[in-house]
Amino acid sequence: MLKKILIANRGEIAIRIIRTCKRMGIKTVAVYSEGDSRSLHIREADEKAFLGGSRPEESYLAKEKIIEAARTHMCQAVHPGYGFLSENPEFADMVAQSGLVFIGPPASVIATLGDKMTAKAFVEKLGIPVKPGHKDRISTFTEAAAIAEHIGYPLMLRPARAGGGRGIRVVENSANLRSAVEACQNEARKAFGGDEFFMERYIDRIRHIEIQVLADNYGNVIHLGERECSIQRRYQKIIEETPSTAVDDTLRERMGEMACRLAREAGYRNAGTVEFILDESDGSFYFLEMNTRLQVEHPVTEMVYRLDLVELQLRIASGEKLTIWQKDILRNGWAVEARICAEDPARNFLPVTGMITRYATANIKNVRIDSSIEAGSFVSTHYDSLLAKVIGWGETRKDALESLTQALNAYHIEGLITNVDFVNAVLNHPSFIAGDLSTDFIDEHFEHGRMKLPPPEEWLHYMAIAVTLVYHNRQFLVHESLKPMMAKVGALQQTKDHFTYMVKGDDDFFALRLIKNPVPQSWTVMADGHKYQIVTPEFEFYRRRLKLRIDGKTQFFHMRYRENKIWVAYRGVTRVLGIYSPLEWKLYHYMPRPKVIPPEDVVRCPMPGMVVTILVKTGERIYRGQDLVSIESMKMESFVASPSDGLIEKINVKPGQAVETGDILIQLKTDTVPTEEEVDIFYG
Amino acid sequence: MKERGTRKDIREKKKKPPSPHEAVQESQRTLKALEDMRNDTMKGGGIELIEEQHRRGKLTARERIELLLDEGSFEEFDLLKTGRGGAFGREQTYPGDGVVTGHGTIDGREVFTFSQDFTVRGGSLGEAHSQKISKVMDHAVRVGAPIIGLNDSGGARIQEGVDALASYGDIFKRNALASGIIPQISCIMGPCAGGAVYSPALTDFIFMVEDTSYMYVTGPNVVETVTHTEITHEDLGGAKIHAEKSGVAHFILPNDIMCLREVRRLINYLPSNNRQRAPILDLSDPVGRTDPALDYLVPENPNQSYDMKVAINSILDGAEFLEVQPHYARNIVCGFGRMGGQTIGLVANQPSVLAGVLDNNASNKAARFVRFCDVFNIPLICLVDVPGFMPGPEQEQGGIIRHGAKLLYAFIEATVPRITVIVRKAYGGAYVVMNSKHIGSDINYAWPTAEIAVLGPKGAAEVIYRKEIQSAADPEKTLSLRTEEYRQTYVNPFLSARRGYIDDVIFPRDTRHRIIRSLQFLEGKKRERPERLHGNIPL
Repeated sequence: MLKKILIANRGEIAIRIIRTCKRMGIKTVAVYSEGDSRSLHIREADEKAFLGGSRPEESYLAKEKIIEAARTHMCQAVHPGYGFLSENPEFADMVAQSGLVFIGPPASVIATLGDKMTAKAFVEKLGIPVKPGHKDRISTFTEAAAIAEHIGYPLMLRPARAGGGRGIRVVENSANLRSAVEACQNEARKAFGGDEFFMERYIDRIRHIEIQVLADNYGNVIHLGERECSIQRRYQKIIEETPSTAVDDTLRERMGEMACRLAREAGYRNAGTVEFILDESDGSFYFLEMNTRLQVEHPVTEMVYRLDLVELQLRIASGEKLTIWQKDILRNGWAVEARICAEDPARNFLPVTGMITRYATANIKNVRIDSSIEAGSFVSTHYDSLLAKVIGWGETRKDALESLTQALNAYHIEGLITNVDFVNAVLNHPSFIAGDLSTDFIDEHFEHGRMKLPPPEEWLHYMAIAVTLVYHNRQFLVHESLKPMMAKVGALQQTKDHFTYMVKGDDDFFALRLIKNPVPQSWTVMADGHKYQIVTPEFEFYRRRLKLRIDGKTQFFHMRYRENKIWVAYRGVTRVLGIYSPLEWKLYHYMPRPKVIPPEDVVRCPMPGMVVTILVKTGERIYRGQDLVSIESMKMESFVASPSDGLIEKINVKPGQAVETGDILIQLKTDTVPTEEEVDIFYG
Repeated sequence: MKERGTRKDIREKKKKPPSPHEAVQESQRTLKALEDMRNDTMKGGGIELIEEQHRRGKLTARERIELLLDEGSFEEFDLLKTGRGGAFGREQTYPGDGVVTGHGTIDGREVFTFSQDFTVRGGSLGEAHSQKISKVMDHAVRVGAPIIGLNDSGGARIQEGVDALASYGDIFKRNALASGIIPQISCIMGPCAGGAVYSPALTDFIFMVEDTSYMYVTGPNVVETVTHTEITHEDLGGAKIHAEKSGVAHFILPNDIMCLREVRRLINYLPSNNRQRAPILDLSDPVGRTDPALDYLVPENPNQSYDMKVAINSILDGAEFLEVQPHYARNIVCGFGRMGGQTIGLVANQPSVLAGVLDNNASNKAARFVRFCDVFNIPLICLVDVPGFMPGPEQEQGGIIRHGAKLLYAFIEATVPRITVIVRKAYGGAYVVMNSKHIGSDINYAWPTAEIAVLGPKGAAEVIYRKEIQSAADPEKTLSLRTEEYRQTYVNPFLSARRGYIDDVIFPRDTRHRIIRSLQFLEGKKRERPERLHGNIPL
């Protein structure tokens, strides 16, 4: 068995690998960049090695530096994690050349399977179905235009060296081909350093199914069933589960057999994943690609098969034989994973950066959280926006979804915008619950990050009850705090035991009656004629999560308090609710409607200083709160953020230019929809 | 000598005493008369004017009081008081004379209030109106309860002539004399023009309602006549202007309901008078709660800014912070919070706005806040990240010397517990001003990221090593070398810690705990000053 390994990665995967190593008594060496100098993964590891600057090229992609570090720290092997160098054949080769074990397949196999075109050619020979498309790499528009006629529209452009869905473009008709080719090439050049791409037929409504395989050094290959990863945004997965509602035993066996055949024939070693697309209309499936590494979503397989894939990877890399046979493999229940990312679902999942100022998760049975963050973590632009993975398990799919939902209801993160409530909303969508998935799920059922369907009334009642109880009990506390200042005369009054409140959101309105039960912390609540029995905890008003028992079932909420309004999230539904006394409500309709202020279309300089850099280009789409220009003033560099969503129309300044307070730096072409109050609360 | 009765006397003497039935009827008539009289007055200026008030998005004087106070707690004074009637042949008197006054409770605690009734003669202020206000003010001072004025008035009642002016004077005098004894709060919920503005201006906090309120000394008409410029009410004295530009308003709220709620919220932080301590509100936020996020709040690059509010929210109970003048002089943050349940006044430089520099407006804003806290026994917490005073002719000509001196004076004068945490920069005179040990602060902590020095490293190196740099072969290199040397030697909290100017260099994560422990021991702090009429703050 290996004694000490280097983990050539960061974030949650590095921590996850370290955890298994610790259990197995293997020493670990973490590597880190400048920006990661205080990240959690280096504190978890036994040793750490500094690589270089925050840019991946200077650190996590710097092959020589990593190998050098592995040598200096006397490691025997290198675990590449996922992303970065995990599927880089040169790196695998360099690791092997320097006498270290690369925890993954041999470089030659990565080279064959990592390149989509050669991989396709290879699998076709094995009788595995492949989607119609052009076999060769394409590098120019003229070429592409000719080939497009053969394949037919709609078609898809995909960078030759790619991963994680980056650079993929769908083209509906020939008119859009040119711009799509340019965009695909640009992105591919930036991300992977090559501008060649493939073209293939685009299939509508597909399900993404992948098979986990394991192969040892002795030709033994097994598969660990499928994972469905159909829920994607911007062609990247956000929710994964196993088993899949679309796969029955026969299909699982067929796909599994094909995946094993592929691994065996390719001389594959270690853990890998064969991705298929499933056309549910006729049950046909096609090979998509093989990922020659541990997948982000591997925990769902681990929970259902009760195995530690990293442990198996390490054992295989140490030269051990697989000790489990295909027939011994048992499936237990269902597991679903949600990825928590620093991104804004309302703004086309644009990654966001910033410091996490508050972070709290709940300990819930059957829930696993793989995370790399804590209060104080800084999310930068240099790396992936993935912060954590929350995985729920259950005997049935329903149970698994319920545990995961509970965990997400209680998952509170502040300081930057995340997709916590978005993924929760997806999990609670009736179509998702019914197992009716496709890769278009989000476009179909969501708009601007919000569910198109209205949420069930009961959920809204729960939310209204939660905020009202918080509000009421806090008011009560204020009253108590003032007791020493109250008149002593006539102070012995009977206290009321029932209270009426009106709760209002943007489109919802509830009349709530709270009735104090004789038992402490117990309430009967009437909400629009429905009766609920509530047991509250001892209120701790600094907390941002609330656990209530409603009609005997535990429910979690997370919220942000404002004195007059409370933002609350439950099952992915979010609302900003105002709570009013009956008197306030009676007079509420006299209040002037808030003026709709047109979005600001100029970016003004907030202070005198000098322009240092301009972070945007004319025509670029930008969002409210996005930094546009950096200005040096009082010897400090600070950023000027966009006041609205829109496009950059004109940039009036140049770097090095002196600017005064009030100068118009940039002119915007704003979107017509003004941003709502909720956003303010988000940033608050 | 025996008096001879008149004819009437004789007749009445002869009259039989009223039968029991008649007596009941008589007393019912009296009750009915009282009831009618009260009902009449309650209607204010009448249904039509009330509807007009509502149409403008404004509530009536009585509706406002109902919202402000606990349900059913309002006790009215002088419901039946009227004016004497004025000159110009206008002998008519008006119900309540355009103002509703009395007392009631906010979350159980007594407060006094007056609410001007715009439906009665435009809420104009005459003699009786003013006497009513004076009466509640006198009560408030006598019993030590806050006074809250809800202003919605067209101004002085011109018909009453000089009496109206005298009436303003009566109120101003009371405002000034009550200052520092009881909290005085003004809500501007309609027009407030001319001399009338000076009563709110003398109080501690001004709330304004957006779109329906404005305050100015001279209105747009006069401005146009005198200066020939056209200007709207909003641009001259709307809530936004006073919140952002003039600094007259401390809080602005979107409507009457929210405004009155916010007043209740503010009141809950405050003691009822200068003899009391503020109420203790326990949000069950653990005193020993640490926050690792603070360890990383200050960016490694000294030229980068960050949001001080992250630190503020982190150290306060429940992240609850009531910011005063949030839109004015944003380079300094002032407001109320609680620590360990106790109300504290927080003054913090805001590095994300103008690098947190002290300028004229910031100095004024903070100085007034510090004085309020001091006089109402609210301990002061100061978070420092200040690069210095704002340089430039605009500031110098604007009197930065005078204004900066106010803040300095206010801190020195303060006898409440005073605690400072130096988060990052504390340079030059601004370091001394920001509640340093040298001007009487009780406890001064520094984060390890603190930079306490006379001036920034580069500037310092340029001065100290001027000759060396000038004569060097590579002046740039020498400068950067010397700059770095200076940074290493002087730009840190440890030199100050060795001198005892800093009581401890603390882990940022422990800031909350350390401050609360200090507040605990400072609870018994003696607050004595030699007797004097008052100091002479450089106003």
